[in-house]
Amino acid sequence: MNSSAKPYMNPYLAGVCLGLVLTGSFLILGTGLGASSGIARIAAAIEGWMLPDHTAKTTYFGAWGKSPLDYYLVYMFIGTMIGGLISAVKENRLSFQLEKGCQCSSWKRITLALTGGLLVGYASRLAQGCTSGQALTGGAVLLTGSFVFLICLFASGYAAAYFVRRQWND
Amino acid sequence: MIDTFFGLGQLDSSKALFMSLVIGILFGMVLERAGFGSSRRLSGVFYFKDMAVIKVMFTAMITAIMGIALSLRFGLVAEQAIYLNPTLYKAQILGGLIFGIGFVIGGWCPGTAAVGAASGKWDAFIFLGGAVGGSFFFNETYTWVKELYEAGNQHTAFVYQSIGMSKDWFVLLFVLIGILVFWCMELIEKKITQKSDYLNTVFLKQFSFVLLISGFSVFMLLGDPSSAAKNNESPVQSQPVETSETALLNQIENALDHIEPEELARRVIKGQQGLVLVDVRSEPEFLKFHIKTARHIPLKDLVEQLEPYRNLGMIVLYSNGMTHPAQARDVLFRMGFSNAYLLTDGLDGFINQCLRPVSLRPEPVPESNAREINQWRQFFLVSDSATAAKTPMDGLPIKGLALPGIIDAQTLFAHMNDPGVRVIDLRSQPEYNTSHIPGSLSLNVESLRGNIKGVPSCLLPAHLLAGHLSLMGIQPKTLVVLVYGEKVQDVTLVGMALERLGHANYALLSGGYLQWKALGFATDAMLPEISFSTYPDTDKDQFTIDYKAVFSHVQNKTALILDVRPQAYYTGEKSDEARAGHIPGAVNRPFDLDTVKTAETIAFKPISELAVAYETIIPSKESLVIVHCRTGHQASQTFFVLKHLLGYSRILWYDAGWTEWAARKELPVKTGTTP
Repeated sequence: MNSSAKPYMNPYLAGVCLGLVLTGSFLILGTGLGASSGIARIAAAIEGWMLPDHTAKTTYFGAWGKSPLDYYLVYMFIGTMIGGLISAVKENRLSFQLEKGCQCSSWKRITLALTGGLLVGYASRLAQGCTSGQALTGGAVLLTGSFVFLICLFASGYAAAYFVRRQWND
Repeated sequence: MIDTFFGLGQLDSSKALFMSLVIGILFGMVLERAGFGSSRRLSGVFYFKDMAVIKVMFTAMITAIMGIALSLRFGLVAEQAIYLNPTLYKAQILGGLIFGIGFVIGGWCPGTAAVGAASGKWDAFIFLGGAVGGSFFFNETYTWVKELYEAGNQHTAFVYQSIGMSKDWFVLLFVLIGILVFWCMELIEKKITQKSDYLNTVFLKQFSFVLLISGFSVFMLLGDPSSAAKNNESPVQSQPVETSETALLNQIENALDHIEPEELARRVIKGQQGLVLVDVRSEPEFLKFHIKTARHIPLKDLVEQLEPYRNLGMIVLYSNGMTHPAQARDVLFRMGFSNAYLLTDGLDGFINQCLRPVSLRPEPVPESNAREINQWRQFFLVSDSATAAKTPMDGLPIKGLALPGIIDAQTLFAHMNDPGVRVIDLRSQPEYNTSHIPGSLSLNVESLRGNIKGVPSCLLPAHLLAGHLSLMGIQPKTLVVLVYGEKVQDVTLVGMALERLGHANYALLSGGYLQWKALGFATDAMLPEISFSTYPDTDKDQFTIDYKAVFSHVQNKTALILDVRPQAYYTGEKSDEARAGHIPGAVNRPFDLDTVKTAETIAFKPISELAVAYETIIPSKESLVIVHCRTGHQASQTFFVLKHLLGYSRILWYDAGWTEWAARKELPVKTGTTP
């Protein structure tokens, strides 16, 4: 399927589209886009399902009540996946694979993806948002914290990039 | 004007959820079409191979910044109808740093991983699993990182203000930087991969030109200062009340905004974390009786004081009935609090449902309920000595004022000219000289301390203190009102001096001089006319103890020793004394944890909050507690809190403190964080 995959969209036009979606979100919902909150809400639901008493007592998840999934960003997260799927099918880009460099073992890539996920999941909660909910959304309304977050994100990303470069070696 | 779902407080309505789903779908489609369903492409940005991430993000930001700025400028949407994330430097710097590392290691961020997973990438699923784990981990470690998470809250801070620019100039600058960045990105790609899709293309030139024109247009449109300012700073009050009323009514209909008294009682007894119970009645009513653990917040301070709990935990408001707190909740609601609840039927309902004795109830009560009611009565009616201890006594100059205690600025203003009232200002002299409360006397707290038998900075003996009071014309019946500037411990140390002479008629001015000034009460710069008095020099000090007594309590473990110095001194990391560390067995509770800095001044935290904090440290109100610091200064503040605000009855003061203990080599010392 990959062979017939269509080329990616012009990044500048994609950026304009993304900016319009974001503006629309602000005008309709009154809030921007978000992804990590949806993930955290799902985490709260899972923890609440496994350890209901403990979760209700915790300060952070506990504050979300008995049904943490009744939240607009959970719906947005599901929407994002649906939108991604629609587009991937339409553009012939749906293919089940573990993306990595040829010289990188699967286990290494899996470990790195998991570690990255853990760090990102934690950091998104700490900073009250991720690239979507904090950097892009807050940046669009010119919030200081969002710019600070964005700068720090790229600074540490570039600083750490060297150490994990081999996962993409072909 | 668009009423956003956020502005209406209806983000959880089914319509809003549906719209979120639709916006999510569009978001996902754009991300996928941009090629962000591939971790290889995303990571490319960190190796200068594929700069699409920066191109897309920068363009999206420029587009949205201009779109939203214009929408605000032309009143399409009001600023208060838009959710603005608070700026918290520490959490966002650290969060950003960790996030960047996670991003480059994992190859994904949350939004792109959702799209990656949808296009079949296993590593995206794994990454999402990791992110779920990271969220768990945050929840489990929340109590440890809470301080960092909330540290330095700047509330809503705009980047152009933070760097001292106007909004129009910032937007223009951002667009110009954007164009520059795009060309640089193409150059980088060209250099690293020998291939650039857009460098020098007609498209990029046209695109840059369009951006340039748009940037300048927006700059001109935003630049009109009169209308822009009007739009940016329209006060909350100007929002139509019906809007929030509709939302409120909507919630009331679904009973989402209430908590039943019984439910509240159970949660309070269980000690539910994150539950903030707020009494919005008047302060005298609050002091007379309130639901245990409640804090008193006047309506006007509600938003500011509850800001740290916005959408975190559960805020329960109550008054006598329902109207008052409903208004309060309305205010919070409009300010974006989705976690504020009303106590059904207010305090009246609570007393009726939870506290009325079983024997006085009209209907028979099943035994299990009766047990619960007795448990509630036990918890909520007994041993709240903070208020019980403050029942006013007869013969005091101001009716209803419990002494020693705290007097508010309004009451002082009403009584400042009474002959039996003397106001003493503890700020340093230049400040006093320029402006002070009319009729107040300046006093340097250090003049009440001296070297006693070789130990520096000890409170003077009774006869010398009596001499000082006589010079200031104070008599045993005088109500002494003590005013601090920024150091609450200054007035509490004077309180110790007064108490050494058995003078209980004193009160601290709530919020000190800064609060007085902020409230706009009168000040002048004149010296008062004072005639001498003769204050009797009887020593009535029953609370100061010396090192021998402290040592005996340490050996026999007969008292709780509370070391109120900053933690680093307690552990021994820092030391200005003969030896570092603390008295073996002493518990550390830094004195400054009892006060809170507000925009205007520094003041004691709400009594309910202090009560909860000390309940975990001191076993009972009758426990014997020895407070100390380095010289007795800071410890005087903790003494005042424990004895006069919280009603602990047996508090002793080791005045000579760590200065003496550290210098006496025969006394034991311990370092580290454990008692």
